[in-house]
Amino acid sequence: MNWFVFRQHRKQFLIVGILLIAFAALIVPTGNHFWHTYQQTLASCKQNPATPNCSDLSSSLFQTSTDQMLLHFVPAAIVLLPLLFGIFWGAPLLANEYGEGTNKLAWTQGVSRRKWLTTKLAWILVATAVFMGAFATLTTWWAKTPNILNMDRFASEASFDSQGIVPVAYGLFAVAFGIAFGAWFRKTMVAVGVVFGLFIAVALIAVPNFVRPHYAAPITVTAPMGPGILDSKIPTGAWVIERNIVDKNGKAFNSFNLENMPPQCQKIIQASRVGTTGKGVAVKAGPGDPIDACLNNAGYHQTAKYQPSYRYWDFQRIEAGMYLALTAIAIGATYWLVLKRDA
Amino acid sequence: MGAAAIQTKGLGKRYGSFWALENCDISVPEGSVSALVGPNGAGKSTLLKILVGLSKASTGESSVLKRAPVQHEDFLSDIGYLAQEIPLYKNLNAAEHITMGQHLNKRFDEQHMTERLKELKIPLDRPVGKLSGGMRAQVALALALAKKPKLLLLDEPVAALDPLARHDFLSSLAQAVADGGLTVVMSSHLLADLERVSDHVIVLASGQTQLCDDIETVLHEHKLLVGPRAESKDLAESVQIIHETHTAKQSTLLVRLSKSAKVPNGWQQHEPNIEEIILAYMGQAQEGDAR
Repeated sequence: MNWFVFRQHRKQFLIVGILLIAFAALIVPTGNHFWHTYQQTLASCKQNPATPNCSDLSSSLFQTSTDQMLLHFVPAAIVLLPLLFGIFWGAPLLANEYGEGTNKLAWTQGVSRRKWLTTKLAWILVATAVFMGAFATLTTWWAKTPNILNMDRFASEASFDSQGIVPVAYGLFAVAFGIAFGAWFRKTMVAVGVVFGLFIAVALIAVPNFVRPHYAAPITVTAPMGPGILDSKIPTGAWVIERNIVDKNGKAFNSFNLENMPPQCQKIIQASRVGTTGKGVAVKAGPGDPIDACLNNAGYHQTAKYQPSYRYWDFQRIEAGMYLALTAIAIGATYWLVLKRDA
Repeated sequence: MGAAAIQTKGLGKRYGSFWALENCDISVPEGSVSALVGPNGAGKSTLLKILVGLSKASTGESSVLKRAPVQHEDFLSDIGYLAQEIPLYKNLNAAEHITMGQHLNKRFDEQHMTERLKELKIPLDRPVGKLSGGMRAQVALALALAKKPKLLLLDEPVAALDPLARHDFLSSLAQAVADGGLTVVMSSHLLADLERVSDHVIVLASGQTQLCDDIETVLHEHKLLVGPRAESKDLAESVQIIHETHTAKQSTLLVRLSKSAKVPNGWQQHEPNIEEIILAYMGQAQEGDAR
């Protein structure tokens, strides 16, 4: 049975193996380049702290278009990689057998349907985990420089989603649902379409925006109106989930405009002909800003909710666990579909 | 011929509100080669799939090699099955199919299969997707036979083949039967194919069994009677009329007579061939549908 499953899927394994080698060939030299450049710059900045740019390395290092492209492309590629596993490994695994009628050939050999399915699933799931694990390990190692420079690996979707253990869980999720949809619809193209839509909806939209922020109760900080006061209360590396300006009645404004201000503060702005834009902090900076002073007097303050950086690995584990549970559901459904339904 | 290799009672399969197979009672003796005939949509494929455990019956019982057909290794080892579309793994060559057979079966005669395919001049190293339809059918048959099954179920295996390939396929099958120890059920809607190899016939039409007996008995008990139309009504009371055609004065009846029954005076008696008998049974089922 093992020989047979390997023989059937060896081309797929080979293609992904080649992709992995190509990826490593890109990741290892550029990762080294990032790290060494960063270390050298750091060392020279220590000797010469007056050098311009030393105050803010993240906006001075790796600004060439190639480096910028790499820094965006690699995490994005890893985020989308599970989709490829779902489409090219998961969806056709059973749908092709049903479509070609070869399930009837396989199921009338001297092997039970359950054993046939178990062997096939084991190979594909283990291979997915191993390959996704290799891709994620390379990416996590490669991303240590941008993580340090941006002082973040938590807040941005592409960095949380492309590093650590979650990519492995995404891969298993995509492959398992591809398999289950294939067994359900029995048509590869239908399964491909459905798993594509599901992955986009769940892994790229719903979970990062609506589910992940709630794995643990966020920490709330409050500060009077004024530039930089709130930010100074949020530790580095934290994932800020929301910022609000709150009036004296406790009403929160996610976006704060002129008309949200009390009349006396609006007058100051109209007098100085300075508009306010967007959220939060008043435009005209500087200590003792008359608008901030006015808002503080009127009982306004600002709040932020964040997940601190020390929760990073907890969040990775919770999210991976959630996707593994979904994977288990898809696998259970696959067993049911294959064993209980007619050929 | 000894015990029954296949025995079904009241077997039925429903898809939604449609009964693809209903009240199917058949008995296939061990060592026989049964022709399972019927028009398209008669339930032949459904019946074979139930017998091999690929489908579950909605009602009724079936015993195949004295077991209930289930997806169990011991059961599957004794059964060879060839589905209608003759499925094979297109990217795998014949030699790899042989290796597959070795890996997926406890008992598999790879040597015999290799020799047989070489005899038939089928290239072992070419992906089977690139072989002709006739060659693919031969590979699939050899694969099913290499399991050394006690029962071989073939679902319209020659339907898609050209006459020469059909002849070669049936020759291979006849050879396997001659080697002994094999019960075969082969479905087809082409009567001529089955006559060559089979000794037992099952007629399935409108999802129901119309006839299930060995061909010799069937031939012996069926007569074509030609006589005055006026008397045909009376005759219906004493014999089983399968099919009747009438002209103004004359009636032609295909009837089943028990051994003791006598042909009444004034009726001419002819021996119908198996094809005529089978067609009569299919016609009867169709008339039943129309009513």
